[in-house]
Amino acid sequence: MTTRARPRRGDLALGSIAVLALGLYALFIVVPVIMSAWKSLTDENPLNPQTHFVGLDNYAEMMHDSALSDSLTFTLLLTAAVTIVANTAGIGFAMLLNKTSLSYRVMRTVAFLPQVLSGVIVAFLWRYILAQDGLLNDVLTSTGITDGPITWLGTPHLAMFSVGLVATWVLTGFTTVVHLAALQSIPVELYQAARVDGAGRRQQFRHITFPMVAPGTTISVTISMITMLKLYDIIAVLTSGGPSDSTQSTALYIIKCAFTDNRFGYASTVAMLFLALSAIIALSVTGLLRRREENL
Amino acid sequence: MTVSTSHRPTASRSPAPSPITGRAASTPRAKRRKWATKGHLIAASLVTLAFVSPVYLTVVNAFKPQDQIVSDPTALPAPPTIQNLTDALSRPDHIIQIGLANSLVTVVASVILIIPIGAASSFWLSRRSALLQRIVLAVFGAGLMIPPSVILLPTIRILTFLQLDHTYAGLVLSNIGGGYLAFAVFVYSGFLRSIPGEIIEAATVDGAGTLRIWWKIVMPLLRPATATVTIFLSLWIWNDFMNPQFILGPLHGQTITTGLYQSLGQFSTNYAQLFGVMLLAAVIPVAGYLFLQKQFIAGLTSGASK
Repeated sequence: MTTRARPRRGDLALGSIAVLALGLYALFIVVPVIMSAWKSLTDENPLNPQTHFVGLDNYAEMMHDSALSDSLTFTLLLTAAVTIVANTAGIGFAMLLNKTSLSYRVMRTVAFLPQVLSGVIVAFLWRYILAQDGLLNDVLTSTGITDGPITWLGTPHLAMFSVGLVATWVLTGFTTVVHLAALQSIPVELYQAARVDGAGRRQQFRHITFPMVAPGTTISVTISMITMLKLYDIIAVLTSGGPSDSTQSTALYIIKCAFTDNRFGYASTVAMLFLALSAIIALSVTGLLRRREENL
Repeated sequence: MTVSTSHRPTASRSPAPSPITGRAASTPRAKRRKWATKGHLIAASLVTLAFVSPVYLTVVNAFKPQDQIVSDPTALPAPPTIQNLTDALSRPDHIIQIGLANSLVTVVASVILIIPIGAASSFWLSRRSALLQRIVLAVFGAGLMIPPSVILLPTIRILTFLQLDHTYAGLVLSNIGGGYLAFAVFVYSGFLRSIPGEIIEAATVDGAGTLRIWWKIVMPLLRPATATVTIFLSLWIWNDFMNPQFILGPLHGQTITTGLYQSLGQFSTNYAQLFGVMLLAAVIPVAGYLFLQKQFIAGLTSGASK
């Protein structure tokens, strides 16, 4: 707005709502972060009446915590893999579904459906499909592709793969729809001009489609990444972190330290590390993608 | 991509494909194009099938008895039975009815409070200096990136201090204060930037108070933003699992997600019950999505183009 309005009747009311909003936000985001930072320096445990200040002891312990480093490795690997696969597939599917006829519109609607279901439903559904005597093994053995059932959720590496598969299935609906929106904003003239210049499908994709969907990709990749770093419900139901902690994401590990082991202090320390890591990843990837947009 | 591979066989059958692009240059072009369209449709349908087949499983098996689910899980129910649904609804713990009601109350209370608070704060902010706007939006933006697991423990502590732990009021309050409000402020601020200042100036000259301008002029202009925020927040809060699980706790009532988690754990082999319960739990969000999908996609698009 160009000119600042003179203070008027009602400005006060709006101002106090804004203060209320900032207050609530401070109370449930800012204060918890500060409390976590403080608690990370203590040995707080609800089973012990007394809490001691332990300085950086928790941080020192964290350095040698192999369960934590395993969970971080799994979380980062899962985040990277699912973000890359879901967004690559999203661009591809968006190009495939980018038509205006009714059947394509119906398909687009359906593609987003996995996003609408709660993680708990999604995970139970896939637990049924991936179980030892589940549908996938039925299909694989009856068609002779495999000799016997595969323990999709029972062996560490396959369980990690399964979590990734389910998360990708959910996220791809989102990445597809976002990229579809970006595709629809590309002027048709660009493609016409490229064809006149003799550009093939591959060249058109490389020089028009891929750079022009960049703003969509920025949003889609950022949100995919944040979603994967936060991911809790699907893993909690699908594998509950097992077998032998192979699919224990950092979110699950924080919850375990806090609510199973009752180590509030240490859980806060892990939370602090995870917060710093998430912030660094989110900011650097968004920055990178933004720069790519500006280079257009 | 898949498109080109699916029509390649037809392209090679046509007499004179251009060496560069594989495009047919002569007469059977129309025929070739028809095949390409068909190949495209088949590829698109296969992709769609990958998205929809697990959902299809839920729907068909919800209407089949256990033995039919085990013998042929992918078949259509013949004849369909609503036994699974009536069984799920007549459970003595009423977990479906109670869960749906509790989720509904939580979503409605959270959204009804977040919308005016978010919209009014964004309007107030839009009339402040650019510097203040940037600072406040950056602070809210940080909130969108914080993993909920990081702040869960202190949030419960704060609610305990306010004597609101294990209550729906506490859950709603933490929903409002948490990342959801930040999302609303973001969307509203984006939309407000596209509203010309003259409209508000004119109303000010006419002597309308700020509160009146906000309610009578700004809110109607922000209707698309309100639709976006309402749809997304309702879906997220409805599907939220971690907050209800830990803020409400196991003994203080269930939302549909935590209720599901508890009840489905018991039926790991009773598939008839599993699918019946899942269908009932999914029907409201899915129906809502199908009903509002135009606004849904429009909301996603306006976010993506900004």
